[in-house]
Amino acid sequence: MAPRVVVIGLASDFGCQVQMTNIEDHLLDVLGLIDLRYWQLASSGHLPDSYDVAIIEGAVTTDEHVALLERVRETAGVVIAIGACAFTGGIPALAALGEIDRHCAVVYGDTPPVAGVTRRTPGPVGSVIAVDYHVPGCPIDTDEFVRVLHRALQGLSDRPPQDPLCAVCKTMENVCFLERGQVCLGLVTRTGCGARCVTLGRPCTGCRGLSPEANLPAAAGVLESRGLDGAELVRLFDLYNAAREAVR
Amino acid sequence: MSVIPQDAYRRDAETNPYRPWPARITSIIDLTETEKLFEFRIIDPEIRESFTFQSGQFVELSIFGVGEAPISISSAPSKQGFVELCVRCAGDVTGALHAKQCGDVVGIRGPFGRGFPFQEMKGHDVLLVAGGLGIAPLKSLINHIHDERHEFGKVTILYGAKNPAEVLFRYQFDMWKHRDDFDLILTVDEPDESWDGERGLVTGLFDQIEVDPDNTYGAICGPPVMYKYVIDEMRKKHMDVDKIYVSFERRMKCGIGKCGHCGVGHQYTCVDGPVFNYWEAMNLQGAI
Amino acid sequence: MFFRMVEKDQIADLVRGLASEYEVVGPVEKQGRFVFAPVTGAEELRLDYDTTLLPPKRWFFPPEETIMRFRTADEEVTDDEVFAPPRVLFGLHPCDINALLLMDNVFTRDYVDPYYKARRDNTLVVGVSCTPSDTCFCNVWDTDEVHWGFDVFLTDLGDRYYASLRTVKGAELLDDYVKSSEVTEEDTAEFQRVVGEFKQAFDNDVDTTQLPVLLDAKFDSPIWDEFGEQCLSCGACSMVCPTCYCFDVTDRLAPDQKSGRRVRTWDSCQFKEFAAVAHGQNFREGRASRVKYRYYHKQWGYLSKFERVLCVGCGRCARACPSDISPVRVIEALQTGGVR
Repeated sequence: MAPRVVVIGLASDFGCQVQMTNIEDHLLDVLGLIDLRYWQLASSGHLPDSYDVAIIEGAVTTDEHVALLERVRETAGVVIAIGACAFTGGIPALAALGEIDRHCAVVYGDTPPVAGVTRRTPGPVGSVIAVDYHVPGCPIDTDEFVRVLHRALQGLSDRPPQDPLCAVCKTMENVCFLERGQVCLGLVTRTGCGARCVTLGRPCTGCRGLSPEANLPAAAGVLESRGLDGAELVRLFDLYNAAREAVR
Repeated sequence: MSVIPQDAYRRDAETNPYRPWPARITSIIDLTETEKLFEFRIIDPEIRESFTFQSGQFVELSIFGVGEAPISISSAPSKQGFVELCVRCAGDVTGALHAKQCGDVVGIRGPFGRGFPFQEMKGHDVLLVAGGLGIAPLKSLINHIHDERHEFGKVTILYGAKNPAEVLFRYQFDMWKHRDDFDLILTVDEPDESWDGERGLVTGLFDQIEVDPDNTYGAICGPPVMYKYVIDEMRKKHMDVDKIYVSFERRMKCGIGKCGHCGVGHQYTCVDGPVFNYWEAMNLQGAI
Repeated sequence: MFFRMVEKDQIADLVRGLASEYEVVGPVEKQGRFVFAPVTGAEELRLDYDTTLLPPKRWFFPPEETIMRFRTADEEVTDDEVFAPPRVLFGLHPCDINALLLMDNVFTRDYVDPYYKARRDNTLVVGVSCTPSDTCFCNVWDTDEVHWGFDVFLTDLGDRYYASLRTVKGAELLDDYVKSSEVTEEDTAEFQRVVGEFKQAFDNDVDTTQLPVLLDAKFDSPIWDEFGEQCLSCGACSMVCPTCYCFDVTDRLAPDQKSGRRVRTWDSCQFKEFAAVAHGQNFREGRASRVKYRYYHKQWGYLSKFERVLCVGCGRCARACPSDISPVRVIEALQTGGVR
């Protein structure tokens, strides 16, 4: 029997769910492996009471998210976090830098943005419940998503790439941004994207999160030695990784 | 640009060392909670015929869609036509293998590496020391010695495991305890009330044995921490450094000395080992 | 070896001729640096390049390649063909040709690697002489000269090339596509003068005395901890190295999981999981032990097997390492006991 799958969105722009539709050619092949019961972006129904695999996009920003995730964890055998928001807190976690109340006041004024919702410090899904599989990136790479889904269906271990980005960037024969006097976060960012941004002419912004093997002190030293500000590394890294302490 | 000619594509099916041969699982025995003993029969009769190996060699077990894992052969070379692998469920490939049924097909490449010097050992006493899963490659050697028992002097086997439930091949060893042509001593760290063997580490058994230092070959396989202590005990018995053989577990990914993963010191475990004598092993920086 | 003199303006004819039979790959400019890329004419070539971002190894051993296709239902290999189009690598420097010879030792001896071998067999190599850049140290390993591993080697004598013809195929190509002339005694004297100047032009001199001994005797030296602290474990050094051949193999399933590909990709001993086994034991857990292993293998492990060090002094790793860890610095540290 095909595993019953649900797709749930928390705080995000739904870009990763859109990426799932971008599997295009192979979407039907993938759907053939699963029994898709609920897809927040594409279906009008409700989250069913029972399912096997929960795919979660978005950061946790309210108490209601927490309650939902706790219910999901009790129900689903397998939880997959997709995208920067779910994996590292992503862009929503930026709100937690400095005073979150002040930020909200600027955006929403005195009235709460949505009635009946209790705001909390934004964080990744893994800060609230145990996550079995991870798909990093903003947005996710469709091939990588399918690969991780396969691994989950096969019962294999969760193996998001561990090492920094530079190696694959070298194989793309990119001229290093550091040589051109620009900060690039590839030095410390989790690989697996094929160095797409750098290849297209933009330095890495760290959307796949901190590589567990990153050597941050050495990376800051690298910037200093090239006449750049070492602290810039951390500041730029905050864009997608403000909640990095909470990543598990 | 010119049109790409036909010979731009090459096919080397016969000689491609990366290509696994389909092999059928002919038997599965549950040994412990985490270890099973699998018996395989290579499907292609020609390949099966030509598949000969030495004790201590390994194969690459392949499950397409999951990957490959190096596993040492635990059957004796004298048992032809079949390959027996004792496999712990420890990673993705071994986990997927554990989920297979009798009759299922997997891939096998090999045999690879350098095994124990069986011919050289003939005419001598042999002291085999195993810890935990390390008994798997040594069982091949033990069974091979058994098949040609008259060629060897005294044969002593010391085998240590964590607890009685983790003792592998217990059915065989229970039978062997009563034989007088093998001196077999089993020990566990954590005995239960059913255990009638020794208690403690395998190194503690050396007080009970006598070794003729000029005439004894040693063979050791176990967890990495074990080697140094067992070798110390063998050296205390004055055994020669080049008659003590150890088998290393490293990440033998390609099996043929190319991919680099099993590098130890200046050697590759997959082609220069996995069996090294202690002199060689001492010369491998970071090995022991 | 045979020799011919080739006027420089003949190179356009040569490349045009080669392109009618082969895919021609040579050095072209990319954002102020150079890469080996397919060209259709000599005007795209930059034979005055210093070094390329990636070495030529990628044309024999690509960063990622499918080594077989399979069916999951019955574990059958459905295809393990090698795509090896007839190709000319045009304009390789001596260091890079020497590096290919070192790769050949690994991939074409004992258990021949059919993928590498097919491409090597189908590729012609045309070498060209060079001028040392500030990161070059091929002089240290005597890899500034090369005497085999190529079909034609062109030594630049200003307006002409002194062409060394190593193979029948190389001689035929020159016959077919360019007008060349006999080498005179004066030409050889000029050749000697040019290579003599070349040998004097290197800035880097490294004391390689007794390296294998030092690597063993100073195995526990604190210099490795210092390099370990600097290393980013990014693997850039391995990717750009013309002699690093380590690889990983992974299976990629088709979306319907019924079939898939077994893929090999370049790997690096600087990655943390490189030496880890399934049970969780990692034999080179620390950064320092991994940096050390890289040099230990290059300067001693490979040497013990093939009687050459696994480095040709191309300087690519020195340029690529964000932390400026380079063979020159490491060897100096081994000699002096201190990291500079």
